[in-house]
Amino acid sequence: MLLAALAAAGVSAAQAELVSGPGAGLTTARCVICHDLEHIVRSRLSRGEWEDVLANMLKRGMPPLSADESRVVLEYLVSYYGRGAAPPPAPDTHAAAPGASAADPIGALLNTHACNGCHAIERKLVGPAFREVAAKYAGDGAAAARLAAKIRNGGVGAWGDVPMPPNASLSQADALALAGWVLARK
Amino acid sequence: MEESRRSFLVRVAGAGALVVLADPPLVLAQQAASAPAKADAPVPGTVSNADVLKGKDVAVFKLHSERPITGSVPAEAHDFDVTPSDRMFIRNNLLTPDIDAAGHKLAIKGLVDKELTFSVDELKRSFRPVTIQAMLECAGSGRTGFQPTPRGTPWSPTGGMGCPRWTGVRLSDVLRAAGVKANAVHVAGQGADFGAVPTLAPLIRSIPTAKALEENTLLAWDMNGAPLPKVHGYPLRLVVPGWAGSASIKWLHTLTVLDAPFKGTYMDDSYRMPRHAVAPGDRMPPDAVSAEAWPVKSMITSPTAGARYRVGEPVLVRGKAWVGEGSIERVEISLDEGSSWQPAQLDPRGDKYAWRGFRHLHRAQRPGYQTFLARAWDNKGNAQPLMATWNPLGYFWNSVHRVGVSIEA
Repeated sequence: MLLAALAAAGVSAAQAELVSGPGAGLTTARCVICHDLEHIVRSRLSRGEWEDVLANMLKRGMPPLSADESRVVLEYLVSYYGRGAAPPPAPDTHAAAPGASAADPIGALLNTHACNGCHAIERKLVGPAFREVAAKYAGDGAAAARLAAKIRNGGVGAWGDVPMPPNASLSQADALALAGWVLARK
Repeated sequence: MEESRRSFLVRVAGAGALVVLADPPLVLAQQAASAPAKADAPVPGTVSNADVLKGKDVAVFKLHSERPITGSVPAEAHDFDVTPSDRMFIRNNLLTPDIDAAGHKLAIKGLVDKELTFSVDELKRSFRPVTIQAMLECAGSGRTGFQPTPRGTPWSPTGGMGCPRWTGVRLSDVLRAAGVKANAVHVAGQGADFGAVPTLAPLIRSIPTAKALEENTLLAWDMNGAPLPKVHGYPLRLVVPGWAGSASIKWLHTLTVLDAPFKGTYMDDSYRMPRHAVAPGDRMPPDAVSAEAWPVKSMITSPTAGARYRVGEPVLVRGKAWVGEGSIERVEISLDEGSSWQPAQLDPRGDKYAWRGFRHLHRAQRPGYQTFLARAWDNKGNAQPLMATWNPLGYFWNSVHRVGVSIEA
């Protein structure tokens, strides 16, 4: 019934996706934790208006972007959701995980499951930095399997009160790959 | 990001504001997590959109977004004296909390002689309930009528509003019981809704004391003779009739009397209008004012746009007119795109903040495309403009409404 209502209402039941271009992955990861992408997909705003939107999102509680991330996200929004004609879709060359390219399966997993919404490599956002996780479990041979289970089932308590939600759609193999990658961020 | 929710709220409130903010119940802080990619799986402690939509007439109700959920019906679906609950617009900023009424409390704090706490039952027993029909409209209702369209929920010219009946107690009765101090300036409301991450700013807005003490400003638990639907603020909400809808805080748990307007993002960055008009596309100037009462507005609810008639058939043009503060004195219809106007018949006045119905009988003499424009006037001599004043956040679109039909030979 929900799907029918959404279809009738013109809001796609599958989550709207941003047009592919440099910065699409990062923009998706940072924005999707709080609201759906319809808010961006429906918009055509000037540079000044997008600057105001990002400032407003920070005031509303978006975890802060680094200077580099701000630049990438703003340029992406201005190019692909500006008031002028948008360039044709291009590969997303600014993957959400710095150092991973769009062709990297780990980068793809981090984007698809919005890990980058709460985690960065070097600094804490909502959850611990991947570097901190790697440091905590350094030398622990069983950590990869435990962390893979936590990524799939969700968890709370190791780093604070905020629960990590479950990612039930993640396969065991993908969860292990992610856990291994995280533990290597030393 | 490890700072507690309370310290975040204090920082958001600003050092200068004399504010005592309620701690949200601990259970909410622990439940403030979500699976971002799974739109249908409800976060613990919240109501899913699927459940919310069970209470809506999905044949006419259009969603603008899922997270947060927003939606409305078109003008022709408003052809009722009283807006039915299944057609009332939805505008969430965060998630829909699932609250047990028995455990819910309302606290009155701040610049009062006596801080008070009530359950919903205690409110019902301690003060005289009243029922009024009153207009509630999102400040951005009609935003897509602006060119260029500013950012925000893309309400159609007649989306984002409704005029149901509300039952509750007068906020003025409750505030007088607490005793409002002489230096009170604003009253802030805070609700129990929360978002996907704990850093999200709570939706706190304040209104001037005079509006808080106006006898039609309610603490309401009932809409159209039934408990508030969950998405409309169950078990208790503020109803600040005629003003920007965001002042009517849903899932209300704390009212704080302040010596200044509340300082927070939903007061300082949103619901602001330039004091002097700016050119379309300009950014908000420093000299801005708070968006409070709606200017005069009307809509045609019948006929539906695109309806077909034969020459000689009667076309009964019906609609609603309203104004945030004041009363509707006159509604005019134009059959020639605004070159000339003739008065419509007004329904008798209802409650102070209810919309007022109008009607005009047109007999189609010639075939072709026939438009009807409706323009309302309030008791202060204000009329709807042909083109509402553009503003950067797209508030208070109140241009003359236009519906066109086909007359066939």
